[in-house]
Amino acid sequence: MFETIVPLLIDGLANAALIFLVAVGLTLVFSVLRVLNVAHGSFYSIGAYAAASLGLWVVGAGLPGWLTFASLPLSAALVAVIVGPLIERTLIRWAYGKSEAVQILVTFGLFLILEDLQRIVFGVDSFYEDTPVQLLGSIEIGGVVYLTYQLVLILLAAALLVGLKLFIGHTRIGKLIAAVVADREISQAMGINTNRVFMIAFSLGVFLAALGGALTVPQAGVSPGLGADTMVLAFAVAAIGGLGKIEGAAVAAVIVALARVLAIYFAPELDAVAPYLVMLLVLLVRPYGLFGSATTRKI
Amino acid sequence: MLTVSSLNVSLAGAKILRDVTFTLKPGATTVLIGRNGAGKTTLLRAIMGLTPAESGSAALDGRQLLPLPAFARAPAGIGYAPEDRRLIPEFSVEDNIILPGQALKLPQAEIKSRLEKVYALLPELHTMRARPGNGVSGGQGKMVALGRALMVAEKLLMLDEPFQGLAPALALDYARTLSRLRETMRDLTLLITESSPNLLKSVADETMLIERGAVTLQSPDAEAA
Ligand SMILES: Nc1ncnc2c1ncn2[C@@H]1O[C@H](COP(=O)(O)OP(=O)(O)OP(=O)(O)O)[C@@H](O)[C@H]1O
Ligand SMILES: [Mg+2]
Repeated sequence: MFETIVPLLIDGLANAALIFLVAVGLTLVFSVLRVLNVAHGSFYSIGAYAAASLGLWVVGAGLPGWLTFASLPLSAALVAVIVGPLIERTLIRWAYGKSEAVQILVTFGLFLILEDLQRIVFGVDSFYEDTPVQLLGSIEIGGVVYLTYQLVLILLAAALLVGLKLFIGHTRIGKLIAAVVADREISQAMGINTNRVFMIAFSLGVFLAALGGALTVPQAGVSPGLGADTMVLAFAVAAIGGLGKIEGAAVAAVIVALARVLAIYFAPELDAVAPYLVMLLVLLVRPYGLFGSATTRKI
Repeated sequence: MLTVSSLNVSLAGAKILRDVTFTLKPGATTVLIGRNGAGKTTLLRAIMGLTPAESGSAALDGRQLLPLPAFARAPAGIGYAPEDRRLIPEFSVEDNIILPGQALKLPQAEIKSRLEKVYALLPELHTMRARPGNGVSGGQGKMVALGRALMVAEKLLMLDEPFQGLAPALALDYARTLSRLRETMRDLTLLITESSPNLLKSVADETMLIERGAVTLQSPDAEAA
């Protein structure tokens, strides 16, 4: 059993690491802007397409293979810098203070537009670029062989969780973000340009999602529909953890990964629905998620 | 200094401020007295840009405030302590106090020197600097809100009912602090609201009355209603 369940677990955790990046951005944007961005998953697929394009270009141009590693965060940063401010300044800013129904419709419209744009630019083909996985190879631990890349993904997500908490708790911008989450109005009275904080938080959320998408390319490639699939899963993770809770998203991502491993092991037909079963169970008992509450406003 | 003219504010269809007009004397402490619901909070919020004005203007040293976004008040040198304190619950007392300095991107050394001035004026804040914002009493919270406002109040300090809910001993403390503030920062202009005329007699240079949204000036020696 050990030899079969541990590799499943590593595989599940590696995927959870990527979903965590999307969910944590979704949750960050929600708590700062108070907008549930239904289009957030599209940044994952846009990041994936960007990374695949950049990686394929690096390889095609005959550049050294290790540059494909750099191309992953670089493409996510490019997507964040270009797409983040543009969308926040226009569509999302327009939706501030509007009713939740309007916000969901607006961001759903954005989702449809982004999906169509991706189809126009990248067509319906899938792209693969797995140089980073090849370069890292595999390691054998206790008679079981693992892809080093997957282990790196898990460590990277853990490091990002710690980094994000340190950023919010101990840097100037992080403090301003936390203040805006807690009390938007008094933040303004104290001199915080909330519009700037919204733009920074939104772009950071885009970066995290795009990074998740970029990091999935070396192990799974990118095909149409990736954004929608990711969005649904990331929303389940964010809801289980408690919308607006960073560590909630991390714990929920791990729980979902474990649930899927158990499902694959004992009832394979439940694999795809396992995350939503967990969500249903958690929300029945704790409607605001594991870490959430109805009253406090805190990331 | 601060000049407010013909300021009108309506909330939920009801007229709350009517043609409010006054000029604050630079370097003086002006106390605005009015009963509950008279419009004191609404007036300060309108000056801060937190409640939209229907018409009229508010200018600080000739610079029009109302067209500016709310967050432009602090950089203009206005410190504001709301009546309900509004500390960031999970921030320490000290982090609450320095927040406006961080928002204005003041140099670290400047934040530190201002913080030391605040601690010199309000030593009790230094004692509880590590406690979380939601770990102090209501009265202590008023002190924190005062310290936070002082972080950026280079020209004007507006305190909304600082004495409301304070125990007598703490109220006396607060009044003494304001007197000391007066001595150490002579150029600072103060606007303080209060519902009872007695509490601030010792610190007031000027008194204004507000009744059902209308402000009338009052000479300092006249008996308050
Ligand atoms: N958001 C609001 N919507 C509608 N009316 C409001 C609102 N806020 C205040 N009011 C009304 O405006 C009037 C002035 O309120 P305001 O809070 O400015 O009075 P105040 O002088 O500060 O009173 P207090 O001493 O109780 O703090 C009151 O009649 C109040 O009911
Ligand atoms: Mg009031």
